[in-house]
Amino acid sequence: MTTLSNHVPDPRLITAFAERRDGPLHRINPWTKIGVVGVLVLAVTVFDRLALLAGLYGTVLVVYGVADLPYRRLIGWYTLPMLFIVSVAGPLAFLEPGTPIGGALPTPFGGFSVTWEGLTLFLELSCRSLTVVTFALTASMTTKYTDVAYMLGRLLPRPIDQIALLTYRFTFVMLETLEDLVKAALSRGANFSEFWSNKRLYARILGMTMLSAIEQSERLVKSMEARGYDGDLTLYGDVPRPPARELVAIAACYTGVVAYALVGVYEVVPV
Amino acid sequence: MPHIHLGEGSFPLWALVLWTLIGAGLISTVVYRIRKGGIKTHQIALAGVGAAASFAVFQLNIPVWGGIHMNLTGLVGIIAGPLLGALVALVVNIFSAALGHGAVGLIGANTLINASEAIVAYYAFKTLLGMEWDVFPASASAATLGLSVGSFLMGAIIVISGVNGSALPRGDLLIAVGGLSALNLGVAVVEGILTGLIVQFLASVRPDLVGLTDRDTRDEPTGVTA
Repeated sequence: MTTLSNHVPDPRLITAFAERRDGPLHRINPWTKIGVVGVLVLAVTVFDRLALLAGLYGTVLVVYGVADLPYRRLIGWYTLPMLFIVSVAGPLAFLEPGTPIGGALPTPFGGFSVTWEGLTLFLELSCRSLTVVTFALTASMTTKYTDVAYMLGRLLPRPIDQIALLTYRFTFVMLETLEDLVKAALSRGANFSEFWSNKRLYARILGMTMLSAIEQSERLVKSMEARGYDGDLTLYGDVPRPPARELVAIAACYTGVVAYALVGVYEVVPV
Repeated sequence: MPHIHLGEGSFPLWALVLWTLIGAGLISTVVYRIRKGGIKTHQIALAGVGAAASFAVFQLNIPVWGGIHMNLTGLVGIIAGPLLGALVALVVNIFSAALGHGAVGLIGANTLINASEAIVAYYAFKTLLGMEWDVFPASASAATLGLSVGSFLMGAIIVISGVNGSALPRGDLLIAVGGLSALNLGVAVVEGILTGLIVQFLASVRPDLVGLTDRDTRDEPTGVTA
């Protein structure tokens, strides 16, 4: 039976963790978390050794646990990133030139084997990807709705900020609409197990979801204009500047990664 | 939705910077054109709630080849138009990356791909309607074409960038990426057919939404519920 996926993170659950829990990371300034995401993206891009990447991933996993977030859910949410890693890094593990592991299987196209270099590449890509996925989820699950909305309003130019704010607000409404439509169809005896014989049912449900979204937007326009909307959705929240110790920690992280890249990877600065 | 199905850190730093700059350039152009032409409240509301619907639809598991997920980018392009479609692509990619789907550093590349899908689907749909095609074949073909362009663009971006840490020559990388693009093309056909059926459904209840009648002459909202 097809329902909403449990291997795609549900924004309602993510927001519930942010609003109802109070772990150590909930108390970290949201701007600091954005800074950490940036430094992690830079680090996984420039780090070139498996040990370093594995260490970074291990550290992020520990941070996830310290934030009092559930590991079991995380394993389920890894399905999509892992699928993508396997679909791309999987073939690369076979094609990558190097020393075969346990001999090569002869084929008409030549020897076919996983190489040590291919396996290392697969592990490196997995660590790179899962490090940022894990921290992005950690940040999302420890940052309150109003703080996220405030930062969207500050970071994005107009009209993208307005669209993003409405998207954030209405994601929860649209998820419930979609879930209601699926439940209603199931209660009327619908069968979602096979796509091709039920494609019109899928189209009807997705079409109703889009139609519901459009009609919600039309009602929204009336209420926005009635309140004197002039291109600015007023946000009442505020996210202050990070405290000095967090700024220093972020600056140290960036300095460390940039120094490693300049000295150890690109060898711009000879040692 | 064809995506760059590579995780974070898969591209070298220069490629990350390049695709981010090109993505930012595209979005800046779109924002400039929207600001210059003026944007109405209903367009902002449509884009915002449409992006929310697109994001919500991604949660539904479609039982094809073990389960696929789609954002209906082509449909968003057909309904919202090329400019708002590009902005919706950006917003959906930002929210997806925050939930661990798609890489934060590849938001620029992903936006390029998804915006191209929305833009191609919109213009193809309008062209085919102008050639007096019926709604279903026009929208299904337009969405499939848009998503196919996205798949090719995705493959091209990966081959141009190379994979971080891989010594594989570009020719061999092309073989590895070819398989992924072929898989994405298969998904594009499924999503195209689904988009065609959805547009046919929307045209039967609200023809103004797909440009078949004038927006100002339509009836009051139907009040859709479960």
